[in-house]
Amino acid sequence: MLATACHLIASVVAVAATAQGPPAPQQASAPQPVSVVERMIDRAAPGDELRLPAGVYQGNLVIRKPIVLDGSAGVVFDGLGKGTVITIAAEGVTVRRATVRASGQDVASEPAAIFVGAGRAVIESNTIQDALFGIDLRDAPQCRVRGNTVRSKPLDPERRGDGIRVWSSHGTVVEDNVVNDARDMVFWYSEDLRVTRNTVTGSRYGLHFMYSHGSVLDGNTLDGNSVGVYLMYSNRITLRGNHLRNNRGASGYGIGIKDCDDVTILKNALLANRVGVFIDNSPTSIGSTGLFESNLIAFNQVGLLATPSTRSNVFTGNAFIENEEPAAAHGRGRLMGNDFARNGVGNYWSDYAGFDLDQDGIGDVVHEPQSLFGAMLASEPNLRLFVHSPAQQAVEFTARALPELRPESTLIDPAPLVAVPQTALASAGVPAGTNRMAWLAGAMLAGAAALIAVMATHPSLGPISRGAPA
Amino acid sequence: MSTIAAPASAVVPTRPATPKPLSCVARFAGREFRDALASKWFLLYTVAFTVLAVGVSFLSLSGVGSHGFAGFGRTAAGLLNLVMLVVPLMALTAGAGSIAGERERGTLLYLLAQPVSRTQVLLGKHLGLSAALVCSLCIGFGVSAGVLAWRAGGVGVGAFAMLVAFTSLLAVSMLSVGVLISVVSRRTAISTGLALFVWLTLVFVSDLGLMASSVVFKLRVQELFGLASLNPLQAFKMAVIVNMNASLDVLGPAGAYASQTLGGSLPWILASSLVAWTLVPLGTAVLLFEKRGSV
Repeated sequence: MLATACHLIASVVAVAATAQGPPAPQQASAPQPVSVVERMIDRAAPGDELRLPAGVYQGNLVIRKPIVLDGSAGVVFDGLGKGTVITIAAEGVTVRRATVRASGQDVASEPAAIFVGAGRAVIESNTIQDALFGIDLRDAPQCRVRGNTVRSKPLDPERRGDGIRVWSSHGTVVEDNVVNDARDMVFWYSEDLRVTRNTVTGSRYGLHFMYSHGSVLDGNTLDGNSVGVYLMYSNRITLRGNHLRNNRGASGYGIGIKDCDDVTILKNALLANRVGVFIDNSPTSIGSTGLFESNLIAFNQVGLLATPSTRSNVFTGNAFIENEEPAAAHGRGRLMGNDFARNGVGNYWSDYAGFDLDQDGIGDVVHEPQSLFGAMLASEPNLRLFVHSPAQQAVEFTARALPELRPESTLIDPAPLVAVPQTALASAGVPAGTNRMAWLAGAMLAGAAALIAVMATHPSLGPISRGAPA
Repeated sequence: MSTIAAPASAVVPTRPATPKPLSCVARFAGREFRDALASKWFLLYTVAFTVLAVGVSFLSLSGVGSHGFAGFGRTAAGLLNLVMLVVPLMALTAGAGSIAGERERGTLLYLLAQPVSRTQVLLGKHLGLSAALVCSLCIGFGVSAGVLAWRAGGVGVGAFAMLVAFTSLLAVSMLSVGVLISVVSRRTAISTGLALFVWLTLVFVSDLGLMASSVVFKLRVQELFGLASLNPLQAFKMAVIVNMNASLDVLGPAGAYASQTLGGSLPWILASSLVAWTLVPLGTAVLLFEKRGSV
């Protein structure tokens, strides 16, 4: 069987070579209908590896045989803007190193670049462009989606499809994919997933879990989406070492958690999001908890935002650094049903004003943040227009001076840390900086010096008493 | 200019040459700039602003060590507060002293006795003081940028340059208001008091008042944004934030509204508020100075 396959491939390559002469760039060859590939698949035996010759194959391909389709020679599948480009209808199919582009755009039929309708598929290192949905798995357990690059169609965010969608496909591994400008990377009704080192930018929800339990999300980067990770109705999820940055849509959360039990949020970096962590009524069940440990939550507009009904979460060893509001209840209320320390270890708060006389690393005064301006923002969101202004400082000063104006604190951390925990800091990458700032500094100082020199010595700016030029 | 008389032996009897208007303005500007450099207020403001700016840069970076992410964002927020407090104070008091000081010392009469127009005197003073203020700001921001370059790398160079540019524009506009105050005041004490009052109003009273009205009268977001951008300090703040984030969504519903409806023209609208705060008071000052006596 292997021999036939080798022979077949050799003949295919030979035919291609005689047809095209010397290997030419893919654009040089005329596009062929996708039925050429279908005939090759028909001739191949199950399990064969089919290395397609370079070229553009137009139309909609359906794979009904467990084969390996390798496009590394420079293969482009072009759906010509109609329907799903590649449909996988057999178990154990591999599609790798191909470019797949131009799916249909009709939202009702949800056309994709690659639709996987059977289990144990491997979708690896493909480049997907101009597709409504990128990779769409439905009832396809034990698949592996790895190293693909997906870009959706140039539509408004609400009209795009999902970059990667995993629907009722248990045990699937999604890793090292890059999704730009799509809707979501979304997981529906799927359990035991491993979602690792993916990068999602410019999309709606970076990673979106719906009714998908028992999964691990590890080392993903979610940058510039509306929401980084949104967990909904999904239990036993672990988020570890993810980077969530600049997620600032209208409901912009680094991590949003809605009605989820037993989530573990560990060593993630949440930077410059509108809201770092948003907790909506989680955990829901009696006896379950949410654990937030050793995360770096910095430079967000609001570090932690939770609905007032939220309880039974534990926060320990996190670093809340320079968030405009470190922690707030959504609307009015307090976060008293949650523990901000575990076994005598609380969190680092950059606005903590206490001291540590016994030098055990734990502040001797409990942390009870009271911000009048923050309390005003909770009931009058429009007043946010006045942040970063002296008037805001004046309001806070008034509250300090007049205790009767002081609002109730939103939370109590009984054991605040006085130094930034290193585990949290380690989770944030340090960006490479150039030294253009030094140039700017030099330029401004030189400019000031030059201004002084010119104004003080230039003859035409000389003293008035010296008289005017004739 | 009349000090240069034509020599008696000259063949062609001439009156002293009247210099070109622009060169007169430049001369007055140069004189004002040198006077400023030699004066105590300039030195004090420059040193104070530099120390504060460097302090804010250090403090805002200390929380995360050398970890530079968003370092400039926080520094900018701290610098914004500092600039909004200190720079209007510098510019208003500098402007307030300009004409009133000369008037009190009696040197204004001497100046106006020269064959120059009052407009030239006033514009020259404004230009010279503007140059002195920008110079002072460049020193403060320059040292502060040096600290950032050393501790945080080159994060946000463009945003920092825009912060400096908008701060300069704010200083010039507040200087115009100061000059206007100076023109209408007879004594330095009065003009300085008025300048302080205006400073207090712009920095605290108007914002707090607007906050209260927003709550009491349930102002709509567009009304709130419109009223806020009339305040040069708020316009300055929003312009800096727009340049840093490409959006005003950090300022809540009113900011998001402004970003969505005004889009790309938002920075220009905010900058034009500052330009109006420069030109209208200066124009008024010129008109009043032309009309009123020199005493």
